[in-house]
Amino acid sequence: MLADAIAAERFRLLRDRSALFWGFCFAPIVGFLLSIGGDLFLHYVVKKPMPGLGIGLLDQMIKALAGGASTFGALFLMIGAAAILAGDYRWETWRLLTPRNTRQNLLLAKLVVVGEAVFWSLALTAVLSAAAAVIGAGINGKALAVSMFDRNLFDVLGVLAITWLEAMTLAALAACIGVLSRSSMGVVVACLGVRFVQTVLASSLRMMEQGQSSWKLLAIPVYDADLLRATLLEPTMLGQTASSAGAALAMLAVWTAVLTTGAVLLFRRQDLTKE
Amino acid sequence: MSIALEADRLTKTYGAVRALDDFSIAIPAGGVFGVLGPNGAGKSTLFRIALGLVRPTTGSARLFGAVPGDITALRKVGAMIETPRYPAYLTGRDTLKMLALESGAKSADIDGWLERVGIAHAADRSTSGYSVGMKQRLGLAAAFFTKPELVILDEPTSGMDPAGIQEIRALIVDLAKREGVTVILASHQLDEVRRVCERVAILSKGKVVAEGGVAELTAGEARLRITAASPIAQVLGVLGAKGAADGADSALADIRREDAPALIRALVEAGVEITEARWRDADLEGVYLRTLETAQPSNEGAL
Repeated sequence: MLADAIAAERFRLLRDRSALFWGFCFAPIVGFLLSIGGDLFLHYVVKKPMPGLGIGLLDQMIKALAGGASTFGALFLMIGAAAILAGDYRWETWRLLTPRNTRQNLLLAKLVVVGEAVFWSLALTAVLSAAAAVIGAGINGKALAVSMFDRNLFDVLGVLAITWLEAMTLAALAACIGVLSRSSMGVVVACLGVRFVQTVLASSLRMMEQGQSSWKLLAIPVYDADLLRATLLEPTMLGQTASSAGAALAMLAVWTAVLTTGAVLLFRRQDLTKE
Repeated sequence: MSIALEADRLTKTYGAVRALDDFSIAIPAGGVFGVLGPNGAGKSTLFRIALGLVRPTTGSARLFGAVPGDITALRKVGAMIETPRYPAYLTGRDTLKMLALESGAKSADIDGWLERVGIAHAADRSTSGYSVGMKQRLGLAAAFFTKPELVILDEPTSGMDPAGIQEIRALIVDLAKREGVTVILASHQLDEVRRVCERVAILSKGKVVAEGGVAELTAGEARLRITAASPIAQVLGVLGAKGAADGADSALADIRREDAPALIRALVEAGVEITEARWRDADLEGVYLRTLETAQPSNEGAL
C-alpha cells in the first residue's frame, strides 16, 4: 500500500522541523531577505535610483523559480532530501519500518514526499519573490506591473514544473546515493558535486558545440532544464535549438525514472543487518 | 495446524561468518514459542530474514506461507528486533501514529497501548529522552498495537526493571491466551522463557540443536528427591548407582516416574525413615547448558 507509506512519510516530515526548515524553507526565505536587503541598501546607502522602469511581479517569480535548483538552491533541497531518503540509516529505524510495508513502497514514498516538499519549496520561492517585488517597488518608488515582458501565469507554472523536474533528477540520484552510502552527508556532498559538474560540463560543451544541441548536451539535466525554460520563455532567441525541447523533456523524465528504478532495485536487495 | 514461521534449509553468511547453517524449523501458530541460544547463535538473523530485513544466502523462509516482505504476511506481523530505535524528532505518540499510518492501521488504539505498556505519562515527550526500558516498552506497544496475528520479539525485556519485566511477561501471556496472538520470543533470560513459553528451540552455531515443549525438554531430567531421618548412607545403599547425595539428609534418585512407588516401598522395607519424597523438575537452564555443551563442547555457554 503505497498510499499508507506516503501518508506515514508525510507525517514524519511535518514533525521533522529541522529538515523542513533547512531543506525546504531556508533558501526561499534567504532569497526574500536578500532581495529586500538589496533594495534597502540601494535606496538608503547607495542612494541611486533602481535601474529599469518598473518591477514585473511574474518576471520576478520566473527569475526566482529558474534559479530554484541552482547549485545554491540544490544544496538546501538536498539537505532536506537527505534527511528523508537516508534518515532511517542515521536513526537505525529501518528495522521499525521494513516489517510494515514493502521495500518498494517505503522508498517510493520517500521520493514522492521529497517531490511534494520540493514543489512546496518552489511555490514558497515564487510567493516570496512576488512579495519581495511588491516591497522592493514600494521602497524604490517604482511602478509595479504584472509583467514587463508579457509573461502570464502559465509561464510561471511552466518554469516551476521544469525546475521541479530538474530537482527531481537530483532527488532520484539522492535516493540511489542514500541507499549505497547509507549516509545523509554522502547524499548532500555527492549530489552537490554532480550538480556542480553538470553546470561546468554544460557550459564547456555549449561552447564546443557552438550552441547546437547534441546528444552529449542533452544527456546533461542542467542543460535540458535551461533549454526547456528558454524554449518556454524566449523561443525566438533559440532558433533551431528549440526543436530539441521535446528530447530535453524526455531526457529529464528518463533520468528521473532510471535513477528511481535503480534506487528501488538497490534497496530491495540491500541487507539491513545494521542500518 | 497452521505454520506461522517456517525456515527451510536457511543459510546466511556474512563474509566468513556463518550466522545460519542449513537451518530448518517450523513454528506453529498459537501460543508462545521461545528461541534460545548464545550470542551469535543466529536468533536475530532468523528474525531479520523472516521480516525481510536480510536476504538469505541459500534456502527460504515463509511467514504464514508467504515469502518475506510480502505485504499480506507483513500486515499480520508485529515485531521488535533488538533494541528499538526511533527518530529523535518524534514523540512516543507520534512514533505510534507514524507506524499506524505505515501499517494502514488507522484505527489502532494508540492511547490505550501507551497506557497498557506504562508510558502514557511520557507519550508527548521526544523519544530521544526515553530510558532504555521506556524504549523497550514503546517497542512492545509498536509490535502489538496493530493487532497482529504473530509477534516476533527479540529480547523484549532487556534493560527493564524487575517490575517492568513481570508486567511485560504477564502482557505477553495474556495476549497469547486471550487474544490468540502467536508470539515468538528470543531471550537470554531462561527463567523468562520457562515462565512464558510453551515450546522452545535451542540454537547453536546457526542450527537447531534441541526443540520441544518446555515440560517435555525438562521432564527427562526430573529426579526424585528423598529426605530421610535415617543416615543418608542407608538411603544411598538402597538406591545404588541411581542415587546421589544432595546435602546432609537428602538424596536424588535418577529413576522413571512409574518406578517411584517400588523404590519407596524398598526404602521403607530397608528401614529408612522417609520424611519427604518430591519430584524435582530440572530447570531449563540445566537443559540449555547441557544441550549447548553437547552441541559445541568448546562453547562456554554464554547466556
